[in-house]
Amino acid sequence: MLRKLPLYICFVFGTFMLAQFFIPHPVSTALYKMVLDWVQIIYALSLLVGAAMLIKHHTLIASKPVAKDRQYSLIVLFGIFIMIITGLFFGRGNKTVFLWIFNNIQAPMQATMFSLLSFFVASAAYRGFRARNAQSVFLLGAAIIVMLGKVPIGDMITPYIPQSADWLLNVPSMAARRGIYIGIALGTIATSLRVILGIERTYLGGK
Amino acid sequence: MDAVGGKRINIRHIIFILMALAVALPLIFKLGLPLRVTDEVRDVYGFIDSLPENSTVLISFDHDTSTLPEMVPLAEAILRHCFRNNIKVIGLALLAEGAAVGDDNLRRIAGEYHKEYGRDYLFLGFRPQFTVAILSMGEDIAREFPRDYRGVDIHNYPIMNNIKNYKDISAVISIADGDMPLYWINYAQARYGVKVIPEVTAVMATTMYPFLQSGQLVGLVAGLKGAAEYEKLLGKPGLASKGMDAQSTAHILIVLLIIVGNVVYFINRRKMRI
Repeated sequence: MLRKLPLYICFVFGTFMLAQFFIPHPVSTALYKMVLDWVQIIYALSLLVGAAMLIKHHTLIASKPVAKDRQYSLIVLFGIFIMIITGLFFGRGNKTVFLWIFNNIQAPMQATMFSLLSFFVASAAYRGFRARNAQSVFLLGAAIIVMLGKVPIGDMITPYIPQSADWLLNVPSMAARRGIYIGIALGTIATSLRVILGIERTYLGGK
Repeated sequence: MDAVGGKRINIRHIIFILMALAVALPLIFKLGLPLRVTDEVRDVYGFIDSLPENSTVLISFDHDTSTLPEMVPLAEAILRHCFRNNIKVIGLALLAEGAAVGDDNLRRIAGEYHKEYGRDYLFLGFRPQFTVAILSMGEDIAREFPRDYRGVDIHNYPIMNNIKNYKDISAVISIADGDMPLYWINYAQARYGVKVIPEVTAVMATTMYPFLQSGQLVGLVAGLKGAAEYEKLLGKPGLASKGMDAQSTAHILIVLLIIVGNVVYFINRRKMRI
């Protein structure tokens, strides 16, 4: 029974959410709103569980004096607690410690990590993009046209570059992407039906 | 490979230095390359321009801080346009880090136009589980966000007087570094019929094109270039316009590196055969 209960819950709620879309009755709408509230409550609790597990995991590592990479766990714990303390006790609004840390430490660090991509893309462009065969020549040509077509200098060289870039994005790229989207949609419908009908049970932890 | 100061310099180091120069120099010495405004950006600008005064738009800051150099110019341009045209703005975030960024952007740009919090703009804060948050706001925004980012009941603010759900919103603008606009299309546009405008990073632009072509989007503002085009239409050059020269030179450098890399590759291959 314990094994089957989640399957019944999934079937009932899955079928309800599917059906209520086509039933604009006040009772259906009220139930729908209630389900939406429940989902958010469950999600918020799962966030708490996640945060607790993260703290537990890093506390265990940090508490072992000889643990490998212990310093990183200490930094994680320090970061978590400093943000919790400043956010809860000193506010999150304008001119607060929380916002100062966010704007002057977290944001620049993350932006720096992301900006490093440009250096690695440049290095990869030199070492990786090779015209080894006909397909890679097409790929290279398309990449160069789109790269130049999406910046002002491409327009300066010749207006055909941005026009060609737009054509590449609006015709061949779009065709491939539409095919992928249709595939994803059909796959999502099939998987959803399998989950609702209890055929797909991997979310329960089994095989 | 040369030895300099006991350390070896390889081609990667040279490429890194060239890239740093390609980005930094145009920021210092302005090139002023001409910029063509694309139709999808013009459509967004035209739509915002066509809204009557005191309309309300919902701006969702669906991004984290790693993409701030692209996201902030996008947000600033659209906020300036809204406030200049006396359009009311309700902000929110569906990714946690977007909350602090959104609040900061809104307060800063609203300050430029002397707009009042609660009357001209409001920031609702962050909600997890974005799918449910989007669906829930279609029924009742106050049910999803009973209190704003400052913890005050949103019914206390005059901006919320005639706002219940998407029916009272002129458009949803998702400033995103991922595919969050797709969720706005799937759950807000398809189900509730609200107009959606994505403002996304350049790499996410191709994801949006099918929906742009199908007419499900008002327009599209993508990347630093999109923001620069918007700034040009606004007649107020900002961060994005400054960055366009640097982006152009960086792209040119990458194209040159591809060409040089291939020349070296073919020379080496010929030598191997001989």
